[in-house]
Amino acid sequence: MATTSLIDGLTCPVPFASTDRIQLGHGSGGKMSATLFRERILPHFDNPALAVLGDAAVFRVPATELAISTDSFVVSPLEFPGGNIGSLAVHGTLNDLAMMGARPFCLTAGFVLEEGLPFDQLDRIVAAMAAAARRADVPIVAGDTKVVERGKADGLYINTTGVGVLHVGARPGPRGARVGDAILVSGPIGRHGMAIMATRESTGFETGIESDSASLWPVVAPLLNQLGPAIHVLRDPTRGGVASALNEIAQAAGVGIELEESSLPIPAAVQAGCEMLGLDPLYVANEGILVAMVPETCATAALKCLRADPLGAEAAVIGRVVDDHRGFVVLHTSMGGTRIVDMLPGDQLPRIC
Amino acid sequence: MKYLSEYRDPTLARALIGRIRQTASRRWTLMEVCGGQTHTIVKQGLDELLGEAIEMIHGPGCPVCVTPLEQIDRALALAAKPEVIFTSFGDMLRVPGSACDLLQVRARGGQVRVVYSPLDAVALARKNPDREVVFFAVGFETTAPANAMAVWRAAQLGLRNFSMLVSHVTVPPAMTAILDAPDNRVQGFLAAGHVCTVMGWTEYEPIAARYRVPIIVTGFEPLDILEGIYLAVRQLEAGRYEVENQYVRSVRREGTVPARSLVERVFHLVDRQWRGIGTIPMSGLALREEFVAFDAERRFGLSGIRASEPTECRAGEVLRGLLKPLECPMFGNRCTPEHPLGAPMVSSEGACAAYFNYGRMRQRQHAEV
Amino acid sequence: MCLGIPGRIVEIHHDEGLAMGLVDFGGVRREVCLAYVEDQVEPGDYALVHVGFAITKVDEDEARRTFEALRQMSQLEELDWMREVADRSLDAMSGGQT
Repeated sequence: MATTSLIDGLTCPVPFASTDRIQLGHGSGGKMSATLFRERILPHFDNPALAVLGDAAVFRVPATELAISTDSFVVSPLEFPGGNIGSLAVHGTLNDLAMMGARPFCLTAGFVLEEGLPFDQLDRIVAAMAAAARRADVPIVAGDTKVVERGKADGLYINTTGVGVLHVGARPGPRGARVGDAILVSGPIGRHGMAIMATRESTGFETGIESDSASLWPVVAPLLNQLGPAIHVLRDPTRGGVASALNEIAQAAGVGIELEESSLPIPAAVQAGCEMLGLDPLYVANEGILVAMVPETCATAALKCLRADPLGAEAAVIGRVVDDHRGFVVLHTSMGGTRIVDMLPGDQLPRIC
Repeated sequence: MKYLSEYRDPTLARALIGRIRQTASRRWTLMEVCGGQTHTIVKQGLDELLGEAIEMIHGPGCPVCVTPLEQIDRALALAAKPEVIFTSFGDMLRVPGSACDLLQVRARGGQVRVVYSPLDAVALARKNPDREVVFFAVGFETTAPANAMAVWRAAQLGLRNFSMLVSHVTVPPAMTAILDAPDNRVQGFLAAGHVCTVMGWTEYEPIAARYRVPIIVTGFEPLDILEGIYLAVRQLEAGRYEVENQYVRSVRREGTVPARSLVERVFHLVDRQWRGIGTIPMSGLALREEFVAFDAERRFGLSGIRASEPTECRAGEVLRGLLKPLECPMFGNRCTPEHPLGAPMVSSEGACAAYFNYGRMRQRQHAEV
Repeated sequence: MCLGIPGRIVEIHHDEGLAMGLVDFGGVRREVCLAYVEDQVEPGDYALVHVGFAITKVDEDEARRTFEALRQMSQLEELDWMREVADRSLDAMSGGQT
């Protein structure tokens, strides 16, 4: 292969999924992401707070308990129907705190800016960020900016870190799932991911779909106040979608999960976009819904509580936690069959087959 | 969605399953040719619902499964060239070549882009006159009209920076190859509804007659597939072997004539290698001499890239229903969904990947007991 | 192998001589090449689309006819099932009496 240049240096034998550098699949939220984290990041940073692998790290301070969480945002395109990277960066971190039952009280923001980014675009993004933070009543108390050479970044990247105060009496977490729990989602599935895909030039889609990007604390707070310790699990199914979030919970808690296909709230346009690209909505990203697990007996109360807020108007019970097939998520299809909803090895790719 | 959701009606599905079970006096072995049909069967758990009445063998109708290693290696070589923007359907990005896959080439700086339509690749070529845009033209007869049009369009627009790496295959020769194998187990086919939408079904009539197998032109929704199975079983029980059209809303006997005509204008039949199966005579499409300027293999001199299939992967036997994935010595140790040796382990509908997941779950359950 | 999705043709136009159209797939719209079905379709018709190409017009009459046939079969199936249950319970009843 005398004419090739980039793969000449490749000598990896089969199995070759592990190479010497980062691939896109490492950011997909699937197995590669998990391996990357477990093997390359966790060992360096290892501490009891991080090792819990929750949506936020929890540590004790005198008099109260705080939660702290950090997340980096690299979404492309930077602006999309229903939001932009700025509002997403605020909501994303607030939601990670909320999923631990923590009321967010402050945020930090770090920016990596690409040389040549237009000021007006930056202004729009920062304004959206500030608006999202104000709506949630959470100040951005610290920040940082760096600029990199043109071509070294895709416009801009944002990192946000949030600190929250833990709710007294509730400790939702992925390990909290118990056999017999009902599984709820707070709203329609797949809107953020489909809005992003439609915006990308390569699909050429026109859809009315907007990202669901939103702060979830307004639906979390009443849940915690009313049901307290009965809220076993809260999770925001972002990258990798509902399927990946449930797989993580099934593995962390050592339980089986059953889903009812006919109960999944999937908007028609999300379904249509998925049909066209050959994708499964269960793996499409969300930025403004949560998955909750509560004892069966509390399911109706939880549903009512979620539906009381416009954000949770389309909340639904989608499945249950079972004692069978521990560590696996199984879907009962509307046809009456079953199938395993596995974790994907990497990104979900559009297909023609 | 109209013409989709109504074909997913569980009540009608149950009725059809009841009908199939009632009609089948013994267990019949059918092959659904197309990967799209496999997808529906696996996603909806239809095989489980059919129970003992029917054994479905998942056929070779998936470009991920049958594109030969050599063509993947050529794709990888092209994608690694700095002057090339390599465009492909998403399906092909994770298919293992000899050394790596397209995603890894992208991680090393290769320009690899997923397109929805081959015309998007043509548009990309127009927008980037200083780059070479190559499209990975894989697929069966359904996709051939789209790819033929992309070449036709590029010629019409006078584009000099657009070319195709062609690895097109056609269904009937593969069905014949399966039926000719001495150890063949297939007793009836669900033919690929979208292939037949383009091609019609006349070419299947001699196959049904010669090999005495029912061939049912079948759609892709659960009710389509169940009805296709029902029609096949009805023929088998009656000792008939005809071509029957289940997918009447899309398929006419003569197919879509303008599409067939352009495919014939642009492509001609050649021998083609199928991954895991070997070379099947006159089973592939290649660009005609008139359009050779758009042939990436010639333009970039790729004929020197040769590859032989790893002997340890027995995908061919799996694809023909001769070997259960669990019986393969590589299964689950050397070959897993994260480190696939062969294509059936790549996509979640691939026979090996499906077995892998179910196997893991069952093992876990046994361990707990 | 071949994902094909039915969509409703919203409008038809020509792009440098090539027949194209906007097609609506349950709320998602996309430009689709209509060259292969140009003579048969008009706005409002349904076409089957694969990788951005309409490869046939959906025959709505045939679709309705086959679906009706399926529905009838399902009703028959239900009757059969009810008859079976009735037969079985009759058997059981007569078995109990003797």
